[in-house]
Amino acid sequence: MIDWLSNNAGLTGLLFFFGVFCGIAIWAYQPQMKTKLESHKNIPLKGDEL
Amino acid sequence: MTNLAEKPNYNDDIVKLFTIATVFWGVVGFAVGVFIALQMAFPALNFGEYLTFGRLRPVHTSAVIFAFGGNALFATSYFVVQRTCRTRLWGDGWAKFTFWGYQAFIVMAALGYVLGVTQAKEYAEPEWYADLWLTFVWVAYLIVFLMTLKNRNEPHIYVANWFYLAFIVTVAVLHLGNNISIPISLTEAKSYSLWGGVQSALIQWWYGHNAVGFFLTAGFLGIMYYFVPKRAGRPVYSYRLSILHFWSLIFIYIWAGPHHLHYTALPDWAQTLGMTFSIMLWMPSWGGMINGMMTLSGAWNKLREDPVLRFMIVSLAFYGMSTFEGPLMSIKSVNALSHYTDWTIGHVHSGALGWVAFISFGALYYLVPVLWKKKELYSLRLVNLHLWIATIGIVLYIAAMWVSGIMQGLMWRSYDSMGFLEYSFVETVMAMHPFYLIRAFGGLLFLSGALIMVYNFVKTIRGDNVPSVEEDDTQGAEAAHA
Repeated sequence: MIDWLSNNAGLTGLLFFFGVFCGIAIWAYQPQMKTKLESHKNIPLKGDEL
Repeated sequence: MTNLAEKPNYNDDIVKLFTIATVFWGVVGFAVGVFIALQMAFPALNFGEYLTFGRLRPVHTSAVIFAFGGNALFATSYFVVQRTCRTRLWGDGWAKFTFWGYQAFIVMAALGYVLGVTQAKEYAEPEWYADLWLTFVWVAYLIVFLMTLKNRNEPHIYVANWFYLAFIVTVAVLHLGNNISIPISLTEAKSYSLWGGVQSALIQWWYGHNAVGFFLTAGFLGIMYYFVPKRAGRPVYSYRLSILHFWSLIFIYIWAGPHHLHYTALPDWAQTLGMTFSIMLWMPSWGGMINGMMTLSGAWNKLREDPVLRFMIVSLAFYGMSTFEGPLMSIKSVNALSHYTDWTIGHVHSGALGWVAFISFGALYYLVPVLWKKKELYSLRLVNLHLWIATIGIVLYIAAMWVSGIMQGLMWRSYDSMGFLEYSFVETVMAMHPFYLIRAFGGLLFLSGALIMVYNFVKTIRGDNVPSVEEDDTQGAEAAHA
């Protein structure tokens, strides 16, 4: 298994990183995540800089 | 507003120090840039051994990237991480150490350059002893930042901090990877790199391009994600787009370095890989630009009213332009013309002056009144004057370099009917002279704009015609508490 992975590191690396990225994109854009994620954008505006 | 009784006692003294250093090194770096631009136009200005173009050029690049840009990143990251985590910066002593340690690195590096001490790697010129010192300072920076995140009172880590953290971590990895070298003795400045040949070149440009990607892009996107919403008084356009922006930029940027080595001994597949990833980078770059600009969606009138916000939005326009030009120039057939010419210099400056410096100026104009507890800047008219003088300077600079670079590339590849080169090298140099004059003038305008900013800051901090927030009864208690 390890030998096969290291012999095909280019392919496995590509599939791994591409898979992780697609997972993040799908997770972020699930309709039910919208309200929760978009609420974080107000963090800088809660304003206590003085 | 957060309840005043709960408001943390932020460490703004350290942010003030880094802010002053940013402005100081900015003026030094821009001034050296104008001088070396004049040296290109008038070679007689190469005085003696220490002030030649070859020695002053790394002084300019390091001063603007690492001294001006680096101090701006320290200042803003320390400011933003405290505000968005609602906690005081961890470790006052360590934070102060990062300030003095980083300034010591800058002075150490610059003295080395003028004295001829260099390991001859672009943007990584400092020798082993300065590199080791910077490693120590950088680890302290990482610890201060991480510990502040750990102590946060806000459950979510705001996206600006992700960009800052990616910048700190990746720059550490790049710095260590590219600078592995063996000094000839512990009492000598000279060292030899562990890497040789084309591997050394690949590692150098993996470092070099990711210095652009993570130092000059990721860190400054951290600035954008905090200061544009803050100044506009509106949240960023889409938080989910910011997540996609972050991860796509991180995943793609790290592979783009080989485009610096087209048509060299680097294997062809690696060149094509670098080109492909560079073209793919266009999408996250524009995604980020759109996210920043659309923050003003529905409130574009703010752009007309606030020159500080205008600085930030113009910087995003330059970011969009230079991140379109970059992928274009990475295409091998375009690169065959553009590489080694002034077009590259123009491209770098549209990014460095237009994006990095402008978003920093925007952040500085926001920070100075807040840090020194003034209601507003001394003069918004002077901010507007700075914006226009600097913008005209950049346009003159990059347009001159486009014309000069493309002309230079075309002259190098011209053959006559007998198959001989049409032009000698010196003919190309002579043809570039007028454009070097325009470039130097553009740089002078940019420097003048920065000096106007310095004047504005001095007047603001001294309080000339600027009411302090303490003078306002309604905010007096708040300021006293802070």
